[in-house]
Amino acid sequence: MLGKLGWDAIPFDQPIPLVAGAVVMLVLLGVAAWVVIKGWAPYLWKEWITSVDHKHIGVMYILLGLVMLLRGFTDAIMMRSQQVLAFHAQGYLPPEHYDQIFSAHGTLMILFGAMPLVIGLMNFVIPLQLGVRDVAFPTLNSVSFWLTATGALLINISLVVGEFSRVGWLPYPPLSELRYSPSVGVDYYLWAVQISGIGTLLTGVNFVTTILKIRAPGMTYLRMPMFCWTALASCMLIIAAFPVLTATLAMLTLDRYLGFHFFTNEAGGNPMMFVNLIWCWAHPEVYILILPAFGIFSEVVPTFSSKPLFGYRSMVAATLFICVVAFCVWLHHFFTMGAGADVNAVFGIASSIIAVGTGVKMYNWLFTMYGGRIRFATPMLWSLGFMTTFITGGLTGVLLAVPPADFLLHNSMFLVAHFHHVIVGGVIFGVFAGITYWWPKAFGFRLHEGWGKAGFWCALAGFYVTFVPLYITGVLGMTRRLQHYDVAEWRPWIMVAALGVVILIVGAACQVMQIVVSVKHRNELRDTTGDPWDGRSLEWATPSPPPVFNFAVLPQVQGAEAYWDVKQRAREALRLGQEPHYEAIEMPRNSATGFVCAFFATIIGFALIWYIWWLAIVGLVGAYATFVIFAWRDVPEYEIPPDEVARIDRANRGVRQQALLGASA
Amino acid sequence: MSTAESTIAFSDPYRLGNRGPNLARGHGGGGPASKRVIVGYGFWLFLLSDIVIFACLFAAYAVLADAIADGPRARDIYDLKRVALETACLLASSFFCGLATIAVARRNQFLTQAALAATGLLGFAFLLLEASEFSGLYALGDGPTRSGFLTGFFTLVGCHGVHVTAGLLWLGTMMAQFFAKGFRPDIRRRFLCFSMFWHFLDIVWVAIFSLVYLVGTRL
Amino acid sequence: MSNADVHILEYEGDDKGGASDEHSAKLGTYILGVGLAVLLTAASFWIAKTDLIYGPGIPVALATLAIAQMGIHLVFFLHLTTAPDNTNNVLALAFGLMVVCLVVFGSVWIMAHLNHNLMPMSHLMQMQR
Repeated sequence: MLGKLGWDAIPFDQPIPLVAGAVVMLVLLGVAAWVVIKGWAPYLWKEWITSVDHKHIGVMYILLGLVMLLRGFTDAIMMRSQQVLAFHAQGYLPPEHYDQIFSAHGTLMILFGAMPLVIGLMNFVIPLQLGVRDVAFPTLNSVSFWLTATGALLINISLVVGEFSRVGWLPYPPLSELRYSPSVGVDYYLWAVQISGIGTLLTGVNFVTTILKIRAPGMTYLRMPMFCWTALASCMLIIAAFPVLTATLAMLTLDRYLGFHFFTNEAGGNPMMFVNLIWCWAHPEVYILILPAFGIFSEVVPTFSSKPLFGYRSMVAATLFICVVAFCVWLHHFFTMGAGADVNAVFGIASSIIAVGTGVKMYNWLFTMYGGRIRFATPMLWSLGFMTTFITGGLTGVLLAVPPADFLLHNSMFLVAHFHHVIVGGVIFGVFAGITYWWPKAFGFRLHEGWGKAGFWCALAGFYVTFVPLYITGVLGMTRRLQHYDVAEWRPWIMVAALGVVILIVGAACQVMQIVVSVKHRNELRDTTGDPWDGRSLEWATPSPPPVFNFAVLPQVQGAEAYWDVKQRAREALRLGQEPHYEAIEMPRNSATGFVCAFFATIIGFALIWYIWWLAIVGLVGAYATFVIFAWRDVPEYEIPPDEVARIDRANRGVRQQALLGASA
Repeated sequence: MSTAESTIAFSDPYRLGNRGPNLARGHGGGGPASKRVIVGYGFWLFLLSDIVIFACLFAAYAVLADAIADGPRARDIYDLKRVALETACLLASSFFCGLATIAVARRNQFLTQAALAATGLLGFAFLLLEASEFSGLYALGDGPTRSGFLTGFFTLVGCHGVHVTAGLLWLGTMMAQFFAKGFRPDIRRRFLCFSMFWHFLDIVWVAIFSLVYLVGTRL
Repeated sequence: MSNADVHILEYEGDDKGGASDEHSAKLGTYILGVGLAVLLTAASFWIAKTDLIYGPGIPVALATLAIAQMGIHLVFFLHLTTAPDNTNNVLALAFGLMVVCLVVFGSVWIMAHLNHNLMPMSHLMQMQR
């Protein structure tokens, strides 16, 4: 009746997950109770949960990403502290538990931390930068978000019901096959990643369509902001790469559930094929993460250098170059697994060549800053920290791209340090730069600069103090994922790394304080005009936060920096442009489709994990019914009357006109 | 079907008026495209992602093709007569889908339903033939759990069959929608997506019958 | 969201713009397409049966006919053209095909090398005999 599910699924005998799970559930119940008692539930349902507005969906993605980032960070703290204690000792985490922690750490950080953060920023910013009202498929956007949340929910459920995967963030067979991993852990991973993978694929389709087919009039391809170009390339990679993940995990699922022989040792299966196919996905995945971060820096650096971006066309070319070559390097993740010198040479050379694209971008950012008037606000600090950190991290990558060197360093702590170096220095710094930069646009007030700068410096210092020692242990021969060790040489470096984690904890606390203090003092930090940073692209032409329709009238774009030209003309004339003719605006109606879809997806996932077949069928029927009900609706849009549009726009125009006159006085 | 109070017919949410069909000057400065172009392009991108899934399954099939594990080889189990029949069914089904597209363009309810019914019946015939092939093999003990080669075969061809099944569910829904709501623009856009999907399935089948069945019997 | 006066509209009227693909749905196109497809299919089945073609060349011949037939489907059924309004579609297809080729041929190449280099000793001995 309930498949494999029973009372033994709850870890009554393991204090750490039990207590952690209990605490999380109490916190969730407490928050839910607070929301209901304060009467916010209807507001949350109407304005956020059923929202199809890209701005709200973007904020929810970022919230999900930040929470999962913290949970992944907790896993990291546990791993570092375990290694400090586990010298000639067992530490406090038994192997079965430690294995789940490093598996969860990788899965959560990449797929449920970094991806939602990056996708959330794309969601919020892209339609605003393109000068349009929403993405191509708003309801599909909501479905994407809620399916991602479903994946995160399933992984978190595994903390208290059953267990998580113990085979790492990429479940290599034959260890991940049913014979060697009979418990539900790998199944939790498979269904969580598959379901959220569907959401991500739909996001990719949504944004490529939006960027290529829905832009303000006059915005030709070569007048798009650079963030839109990198988002386009990233989403093209999503469309091309995520199906590989879907297919490969499906093959492993078929092996586990139906006894197929894709990757088994017996009957002709080929375990190495999993390694090959999964890295066909996983390498483009890291470019999916880093390209939008590059785009964020391409927005922040010109704004805070008070200069246009240097070498726009070469940036576009470099982005597309990276997009294509991203599919030509995947074997460098398994040089040591026997493909031979010829194959290794081809992929090693391709891996070195792909660095050229990033090099072009770096030089363009440097030339953008050169001769500019630089303002060292928090987003700019994150960008400068990125430049030094990503360059050095990338260099360690080029070192690893040389097959003979990789034969010594593969799967050592050197590798671990390298990929953290580029992901933290590139993606995380980029996301924090983006959040700090666009926060005023989303919420109408700036973040506190002091706490922001403290958070940055702690993150920068903490990162280096944590990971430079790990490079050294790697060269000294330490492999990754060690639950205990007995090599005295490594110990001092591991302890320095733990000190680095303490600095990172302080940094995380500063970031949290930044948000708390900013909310408290939001009136002093208010962004009245909608353009707090003297921005150059169209999102800064809207009020903060923008109205649901973004622009009262779609802007006519005439140059590369759409908003900058308009602003300069207004500054010279000391007058805003003529008031536009206001017409009624159609907007898509909110819909519960996304949430309901995800509800059934959670049921399907949980049922399949625990072999509760009848429940899985119920979930499938429910999901299909949801599609049909959505398809059957007669009224997809509602209209905002011209007077309302005019009222909102005139209020903002008044404030901006005041600011113009005030600035000139 | 209720009627609107307002007689304004909005099908262009970004309110750029009629800029004519597909105003493409090559530099992309024409403003947002029409809804039909947007929906069609988005679905085209989704189909490309589906092609990549099939590519992975083809790659897996190619890698596992020799892993027969003292089970049957390709030429032992491929029945080309049945494959020819399946191909005929699917190709004819695609043709009738094309006829349905013309019927929809002419807003002819009877012809639309007839053509879609023919599409569906031929698709269903294809599925029956495939099901008989699979169950026959399974009964002989040559199911997907027998060897790596059979795993690859069943998954690749089976994945196509699952897509056809989903397509038939979609087809039924489309027929019901045309019948209940007429030729509304949003339903016509959905039908555009369905017809792209159906033709795409025939394209994948061309690859399957050529590279799996026909090549398999000669290697 | 704004506290706008919600004035519900219905979907009515024709979708102006973008109707070109509806106009290109002509009976002749489909008949020609299905006719060519039937010819190519028959040719494929014939090649698989006959001995008139050099044996090792048969897979290549079948692949070529398959690609041709896929092209027929794209042009005649899916109305993929080289017109400027179709450029995005063609570019997307080209990108997708590039990825497909890299994944399929790359995987086959890599796996062939791996299988050769990592062949179990028993297989190697079998091959020597």
